[in-house]
Amino acid sequence: MNRVIAPAMFLFCGASAAFASGGNTPRTFWMPEGASTIAPSIDHVFDMINWVCYFFFALVVIIMFWFMWKYRQRGRIVDAQGPTHNMALELTWTIIPIFIVAAMFFVGFKGFLNIVTPPENSYEIDVVAQKWAWEFKYPNGATSEDLYVPAGQPVKLIMSSRDVLHSLYIKDFRVKQDVIPGRYSYLWFQANEPTLNDDFHWLFCTEYCGFGHSNMNRKVYVLPEDDFAEWVVEQGQWLDKILDEDLYFKAGPKLFVRCVQCHSLDGTPGIGPSWGDHAGQGNIWERTVSGETVFDDGTKLSSLIGPGKAYETPEDYLRTSMLNPGKHLVQGYGNAMAVQALNDRAVDALIGMMKRIDEFDANGKWLKESELVDQEQQ
Amino acid sequence: MSTIDLPHQDDQQGRTPAPVVDNYLTYTRGIKSWIFTLDHKRIGVMYMVSVLVSFLVGGTFAILLRTELLPPGKTIVGADMYNQFFTLHGAIMVFLVIIPSIPAALGNFVLPIMLGAKDVAFPRLNLFSYWLWIAGAICAVVSLLMGGFDTGWTFYTPYSTTTETGGVIAVVTGVFILGFSSIFTGMNFIVTIHKLRPPGMTWFRMPLFLWSIYATAMIQVLATPVLAITLLLLIIERTLNIGVFNPSMGGDPVLFQHFFWFYSHPAVYIMILPAMGIISDVIAVHSHRHIFGYTFIAFSSIAIAVFSFLVWGHHMFTSGQSPLMNTIFSLITFSVSIPSAIKVFNWLATLYKGSISLNTAMLYGLSFIFLFTIGGLTGLHLGTLNTDIHLHDTYFVVAHFHYVMMGSALIAMIAGLHHWWPKMTGRMYSEFWGRIGCLLVFIGFNVTFFTQFMLGSQGMPRRYYDYLPEYQVYHVISTIGSYVMALGFVLTAVYLLASIMFGRRAPANPWGGRSLEWQCTSPPPHDNFKTTPRVGNCYDFSAVVWDEKQQGYVVDRSLDPTLNEPADKA
Ligand code: HEC
Ligand SMILES: [Cu+2]
Ligand SMILES: [Cu+2]
Repeated sequence: MNRVIAPAMFLFCGASAAFASGGNTPRTFWMPEGASTIAPSIDHVFDMINWVCYFFFALVVIIMFWFMWKYRQRGRIVDAQGPTHNMALELTWTIIPIFIVAAMFFVGFKGFLNIVTPPENSYEIDVVAQKWAWEFKYPNGATSEDLYVPAGQPVKLIMSSRDVLHSLYIKDFRVKQDVIPGRYSYLWFQANEPTLNDDFHWLFCTEYCGFGHSNMNRKVYVLPEDDFAEWVVEQGQWLDKILDEDLYFKAGPKLFVRCVQCHSLDGTPGIGPSWGDHAGQGNIWERTVSGETVFDDGTKLSSLIGPGKAYETPEDYLRTSMLNPGKHLVQGYGNAMAVQALNDRAVDALIGMMKRIDEFDANGKWLKESELVDQEQQ
Repeated sequence: MSTIDLPHQDDQQGRTPAPVVDNYLTYTRGIKSWIFTLDHKRIGVMYMVSVLVSFLVGGTFAILLRTELLPPGKTIVGADMYNQFFTLHGAIMVFLVIIPSIPAALGNFVLPIMLGAKDVAFPRLNLFSYWLWIAGAICAVVSLLMGGFDTGWTFYTPYSTTTETGGVIAVVTGVFILGFSSIFTGMNFIVTIHKLRPPGMTWFRMPLFLWSIYATAMIQVLATPVLAITLLLLIIERTLNIGVFNPSMGGDPVLFQHFFWFYSHPAVYIMILPAMGIISDVIAVHSHRHIFGYTFIAFSSIAIAVFSFLVWGHHMFTSGQSPLMNTIFSLITFSVSIPSAIKVFNWLATLYKGSISLNTAMLYGLSFIFLFTIGGLTGLHLGTLNTDIHLHDTYFVVAHFHYVMMGSALIAMIAGLHHWWPKMTGRMYSEFWGRIGCLLVFIGFNVTFFTQFMLGSQGMPRRYYDYLPEYQVYHVISTIGSYVMALGFVLTAVYLLASIMFGRRAPANPWGGRSLEWQCTSPPPHDNFKTTPRVGNCYDFSAVVWDEKQQGYVVDRSLDPTLNEPADKA
């Protein structure tokens, strides 16, 4: 029995079955690289369905062309006498497909149970999606923009959204789950092969979420277990490790990545007001200090800053703008900015960056990098 | 036996003098005679023109989208514009083109004639439906003037209730109105089929097109109100800030998806069922032979209509609905594939021992079988739970539903357009250019959309403005295909329009059809038939004979035994 099935399986499943036992499966005509434990079973079902499709497609098309040729109209025969029905035949082609699709449902269902049931001992990572970035939070409080996971261990993502629907999709893992505001959804996978040499897997957003939807893709790094443990610890302390006076240029650009979708540095208006020159009022720091910024009710920022007013200092205003963005809306802009998860040092870093905005190019790269290198060399 | 208007006789050599009998196009004249017409044929023609104009607009957006996607990054427009374009493309094609195209345009024209009736049951309601359609279309245009909308044609919340684009409410109102247009058309057809069938036409002697229109009308009447309510809730949430779907106001965004697909899955069958009806008739007529398995085809239409209400959740396998629901929906979804498979096999069997004339209409009919087979089979990958998790919201889905909605529903519409064109306009188009056009469309279509299956299974998500370089080769091929297809459609438009001016006059029955519409003149007179004709078996072609003088076929009613049955059998 097995001797018949094994070659047949190989034929049906092509590469995927052959590699299922070992590491990742390579990219095929239909499928991308398979890098999770469930990928081979999904590819396997996909291939099986494919073969059913090839068979029926060939059947239909060959019969169609054959009849088209064989029974093409000759002369003006207008009343061809063919059979008008055939109960046995019609029942056959009703019943056989029922069995085929029933089998298909069943294998799909079995595979699906694996996809939706995370193992007990999964490593948990919190995921927050917002337009148009992901934030991954690890158990020790470390956060990252790209996703880092340990190899050889089931990972469970606990996801929610700050604004609209998003969907987290890692094609090489064959997993996808919508991320919904006001609700948690789960997704799990296990990747056995570490991604070495800066290699990675792509993570996409697959639920349409507006302007930056197609740029919500991030990288997934699978690290060997030890490396991962090291990485998480380091990642948890990255802000603390930077000297206070270095904060604005070392941490600033890294944090600015979360803001760049909406805020430019060179004065181009975006979803949010530019941090460069804005409406002729100067850059973000200049117009905050001078109080030139105008709000949507027509009032000026100057009426809010100063002793005894809502904010003692310009820094206080900027801090509130980041942590409670809906409180004041800059004229001409909607309430599009989500609450930013920034700790005190992160806020300091960003304010520091705003104060010296001229030291950064339009992409947020610090321009004095070379000076620093020179100093260190001397 | 009742009398019937026989097509008037031509003079020698098939050169045709102007018809002696009146025809619906010339019966009355002037713009008002169209605007206020109660004639189902004129309403059908007005629908057809409007739908084709919308198709042109929607198609233009499609070409712009494909062009934008040629390389990654920006090509001709920015991301904001792109998002508006694909939204417009989808919304126009679904709500303004495919849903009304067959029932409202072709159905309106042929349904009453097939029944030997003078008009639909409620001619005024019919006209009202048409003007509602126009009102809906105007709302869409107004929404563009108000800043457009970038929600996707699915209007998923909370994006649709929070997006800054200003035209959302206007367009949603438009779709709401279009829904009523669709409901009224459906109601009208149900009543017409129940009440106005001629003597001799039992349910099981109806042309299969009527069966499918009947099943479609049922869905239109039962499902569309749900869409209307959903859209109303959306408008209320957006304007009055009452939280129904938006979680920040206590709503549930997934609820919207349930509501939306409760309509929109059946809507897929509003599109495909009438298409299947056309194909059944086109294949039988152009094979000059009795349709194979009439009863199975008829009942499979009804089965599809019933099942269509029970599978909406298959759009939501990754939405966070419970695994149990996913399982049930997957199971029921597979059951819809059975009636569709039955139809394909029956059509193939109809070709068997036929006398197949490869007219343009028939070529489109055969293209339908080819494309629908692919569209249907790839539905299996998506109905299967674990493979759908990978394929959901990728180009695989895009390719699949284009094969079904465009490759099948729209191609069938074009098959029907060619099939009934001589009847509608009284002119014959060039078969030569027709075949070339069909070939271009067929090849272009497959190049465009087959590529997208690979694109999707390789992981490219849909609604992406920008993409990874590894996907570019597929996008380039797909775009080239879309240009070929566009060329085919332009060619089709040209020869069809040319036929109105230069085409040979159409005989009453150019293809050898047996149903009643082929027994009145082309174009039909204002009242279709002087008296309600008796009908026999509309798939019995033994009464059809070629008439050299008319260069067309005639139905010799004395040859059909069923016509001479005693009246009580009817
Ligand atoms: C989704 C788009 C978006 C993102 C991402 C975003 N912002 Fe904003 N931001 C806005 C908008 C829109 C406004 C104007 C409305 C308002 O004042 O809240 C704004 C306003 C501000 C203001 C007040 C500006 C002024 O001129 O007074 C500050 C400060 C600010 N953002 C900082 C940030 C920082 C820091 C980040 C990144 C950690 C960030 N924003 C990320 C959209 C965004
Ligand atoms: Cu997205
Ligand atoms: Cu569906």
